[in-house]
Amino acid sequence: MPSYEYVKCTDLKQAFDLLSSREQAYPLAGGTDLMVGMRGGKFTARLLVDLKDLEELKILREDEKGITVGAAVILNEIAAYEPILKNIPILAQGAHSVGSYSIRNRGTLAGNICNASPAADTAAPLYCLGASIVIAGTGGQRTVPVEEFFTGPGKTDLKKGELVHSVLVPKPYPQEKGVYIKASRTGSVDLATVGVAVQRWGDKVKIAVGAVAPTPVRALAVEEAVNEKGEKDWARAAKLVHESISPITDLRGSRDYRYHIAEVLVRRGLEQTMGV
Amino acid sequence: MSDMKYVGTDVLRVDALEKVTGAAQYIEDRFIGPMLHVKMKKSTVAHGKIKSIDTSKALQYPGVKAVLTGKEYPNKIGLYLIDRNFLAVDKVRFWGEPVAIVAAVTEEAAAEAAELIEVEYEELPGVFDPREAMKPDAPLIHEDLGSYKVVPIFYPKPGTNIANHFKLRKGDVEKGFAEADFIVERDYKVPQMQHVSIETHKAAAHWSPDGKLTVWSTAQSPNVVRQLLSESLDMPMHKIRVISSYIGGGFGGKAGASLEGLVIPLAQKFPGHVVRIVFNREEDMQGTFTRQALYAHLKTGVRKDGRITALEYEMIWDGGAYTEYGVNIVRAAGYSSSGAYEIPNVKTDSYCVYTNNSIGGPVRGFGMCEMQWGIERQMDEIAKELNMDPLEIRLINGMKEGSKTATGQEVHNVGFDKCLKAVADKIGWGKKEGKYRGKGIAGLVKCPAQPSNASSSAIIRINEDGTAHILVGATEMGQGMLTAITQIAAETLHIPVEKIDIKIPDTDFTPYEWQTVGSRVTYTCGTSVKRAAEDALGQIYCIAANLLEVPEEELTFDGKKIYSTKDPNVKATIREIADSCKKCTGEGIAGPIIGRGSFVPSNMTNLDPETGQGNPGMFYCFGATGVEVEVDPETGVVTILQLVSAIDAGKAINPRLAHAQLRGGTVMGLSTALYEELRFDKGVILNRNFTDYKICSIDNTPHIDSFIIETPEEGGPFGARGIGEQPMIGVAPAVANAVNDALGVDFNTFPLTPERVWRVINEKK
Repeated sequence: MPSYEYVKCTDLKQAFDLLSSREQAYPLAGGTDLMVGMRGGKFTARLLVDLKDLEELKILREDEKGITVGAAVILNEIAAYEPILKNIPILAQGAHSVGSYSIRNRGTLAGNICNASPAADTAAPLYCLGASIVIAGTGGQRTVPVEEFFTGPGKTDLKKGELVHSVLVPKPYPQEKGVYIKASRTGSVDLATVGVAVQRWGDKVKIAVGAVAPTPVRALAVEEAVNEKGEKDWARAAKLVHESISPITDLRGSRDYRYHIAEVLVRRGLEQTMGV
Repeated sequence: MSDMKYVGTDVLRVDALEKVTGAAQYIEDRFIGPMLHVKMKKSTVAHGKIKSIDTSKALQYPGVKAVLTGKEYPNKIGLYLIDRNFLAVDKVRFWGEPVAIVAAVTEEAAAEAAELIEVEYEELPGVFDPREAMKPDAPLIHEDLGSYKVVPIFYPKPGTNIANHFKLRKGDVEKGFAEADFIVERDYKVPQMQHVSIETHKAAAHWSPDGKLTVWSTAQSPNVVRQLLSESLDMPMHKIRVISSYIGGGFGGKAGASLEGLVIPLAQKFPGHVVRIVFNREEDMQGTFTRQALYAHLKTGVRKDGRITALEYEMIWDGGAYTEYGVNIVRAAGYSSSGAYEIPNVKTDSYCVYTNNSIGGPVRGFGMCEMQWGIERQMDEIAKELNMDPLEIRLINGMKEGSKTATGQEVHNVGFDKCLKAVADKIGWGKKEGKYRGKGIAGLVKCPAQPSNASSSAIIRINEDGTAHILVGATEMGQGMLTAITQIAAETLHIPVEKIDIKIPDTDFTPYEWQTVGSRVTYTCGTSVKRAAEDALGQIYCIAANLLEVPEEELTFDGKKIYSTKDPNVKATIREIADSCKKCTGEGIAGPIIGRGSFVPSNMTNLDPETGQGNPGMFYCFGATGVEVEVDPETGVVTILQLVSAIDAGKAINPRLAHAQLRGGTVMGLSTALYEELRFDKGVILNRNFTDYKICSIDNTPHIDSFIIETPEEGGPFGARGIGEQPMIGVAPAVANAVNDALGVDFNTFPLTPERVWRVINEKK
């Protein structure tokens, strides 16, 4: 691994300056993807900008807007945060299924989405919750919907010099059940072969699927059938997920298995949230 | 033997405190003084001629001290078939093969400089499937096979890629099939896997100006390393010192010699420096022994009453680029090819074949997991054909007292049926619990695969205060050897465990042990240490008889004092005996007590080259595995509801550690049953890290019930036999048999990943 510089930031401005002025500068929070990627040659970093000590990024709070998760908040904290467990447990499920306990002790929600893996376990729940990503940079803050944040495998809407400040899950919260169901090779400490989030909102449903397309995707055809056309046969509805996904074959699963599993998990998610 | 004080008790591991406090020294903890770090330049083609190597840029890199290529170090090395260079000479035979090495003042500098070495290859056609590699027109991987030195119990075929052909002919297999009412025939495949020890491979070397070479290595077998180095370096053994630190897991991957040769030539260039190499995980995955893949065809003939009349087994093994060790796995699987069953007519051909994949070599089980996968799957298929209970057919054909193995060797003290019954009882055999639930069992057997004269020795020194030191050459890699050996010495000497010290091996000080492999050291080293203890005890009695002036037969020793059974007041303490014993007149009687013991098996023979008949087994250890699963038919996910392992240990020297070995082996077996498989693409391992090479973690390890059966082994210390590898063997077939019981779907290969299970279910639809 080539050598690199490391700066522990004391304020956000310093981070913006470093990230915008230096080549191959990367923000560091948990580092659970970044360090592994650097060692494996995926990233060549010349400068790491450590954000872990910035109080502003450690915010985890609920207020009139909703629940705000700062970029430096670790996944284990998120998975155990009472307002999340009470109001949006689907996000706790997603956070809890990332990596292992020790990885979740360092890894962050912001890092999980900035890594922009289509298999990111927190992404599909955030899609179903209509989350916003608060992006900060020298020019101030801007907010984008999570679905616009992911632009491709490993690619996000972040511009040079910007970083994710926090993630906002806005009110109103869903009042009904949501589930994140993950298929993987070992059932624990593994990447998703397919991850499906299904969140009921009143008598409607939102569904997002991971690891089956260049970004996480909404299963819009399924949603339309259930929400608009009154489809009650969940098996028939679930088949429509095929219209929204374009999985590939890799070491974690083949294309046809992913098509099949996405359909099975969507159906199970509908059964668990909308009733059998 | 119920009056034993130490053997058969749960003595706390003697290395426990050291290990849990972090005080135990592993290889990386051991060095002080000037040091150089070594990194490799690895081949980027799987098969090719080396046209040129340009090391000039690497040599100019700051901090670099030396760069070496294979040209400077041409001697070959190998345990059984001398076919390997530490650094490729003239050609490379697998992707990732070391081509050059760099020594630098930091590991980073060595790594960066290694990148700067430019190697030009003329790529040659590669062959990655041993079945293809056996064909007459296949590209030759070792053109000079005919000139390689080989131990004469192996049969390479020069001019081909066949590194060994083991033949076994017992009885008349054609007659056996003619007597059969049913014949079942099928192909099986076992993929490559890795040991994934928690500690990767490491080695360090120090060259002293007086010509003494010291090597620290994560080697399971320091004496074999010394032997191989002595041969390849043309150095006498007294000038080579090999030290095995504590080892963080071996599982066969650290048997023989591995990367010691990468540091020695550099150490020779820089006397006084410790020159060290530490493999990272990816290097461990690609560049050390993998378990050989097996392509097998198995045919079994059986009578209506369940008696198996004939078995024909063809095994084609992917030996990888070098088979210096792998040829013996192929031989062991060949001579064990009737599994745990007595079959009158057997014909086996087991081929070790060179390919351009990573080097095949020993992994826990040494061919038995692979070979018995087919046997134990086919037992269930036969049972189905006969409409017979799979347990019943195993009991009918299972080896018993006096049965004969495939090589015609008689087996004794066999508790196989007890093991089968124990696991079957525990999992509630015969009771179907639910639509998607199923139960499976598998039998298993293994004997140590070793040369017929693989020996062992031990020294026990009695200190002046009556405490003792044990010196043995067996290695401690987590299995608990130090503790079991100490218990055997304590029991024999009557000296308590806490008054005995035992150390990890150092060939300058510890006596010879062939290798810590093959589940053999409890038996071999245990016997040596028992003999050494008896020798020391004999000296204690002799000295006491002289001192107390009573006949030896009249004396008894309780660990602290030795006294006359006729008059207990006629006594001496162990201190008085051990501390340069003298009479009351001052005349000396005896100096310090040193017990010695050695062992070589006397019950093994060479095998007939044409029929494979003879006695290859020092002892046979039998066992069984039972599993209950629930299968999700939509996703293919197999959930383990019950996992039970039984082994006939003869005598558990330390029951707690023996149970731990059983459970550990069972978890490793489960991991291979469900997850583990090296995925190759033209010789390149695609899953070289834990993101994509999945193993059982604590989260998906179920509760395991373990049973120790004790049918004493006559030759073993206190009746013990080795059990380290065996628990792994039955797990994969038992899981597959259970999934078959649940859904009626058949597997001829594993791991049973969700996708594979789903696919097989789909094929059946």
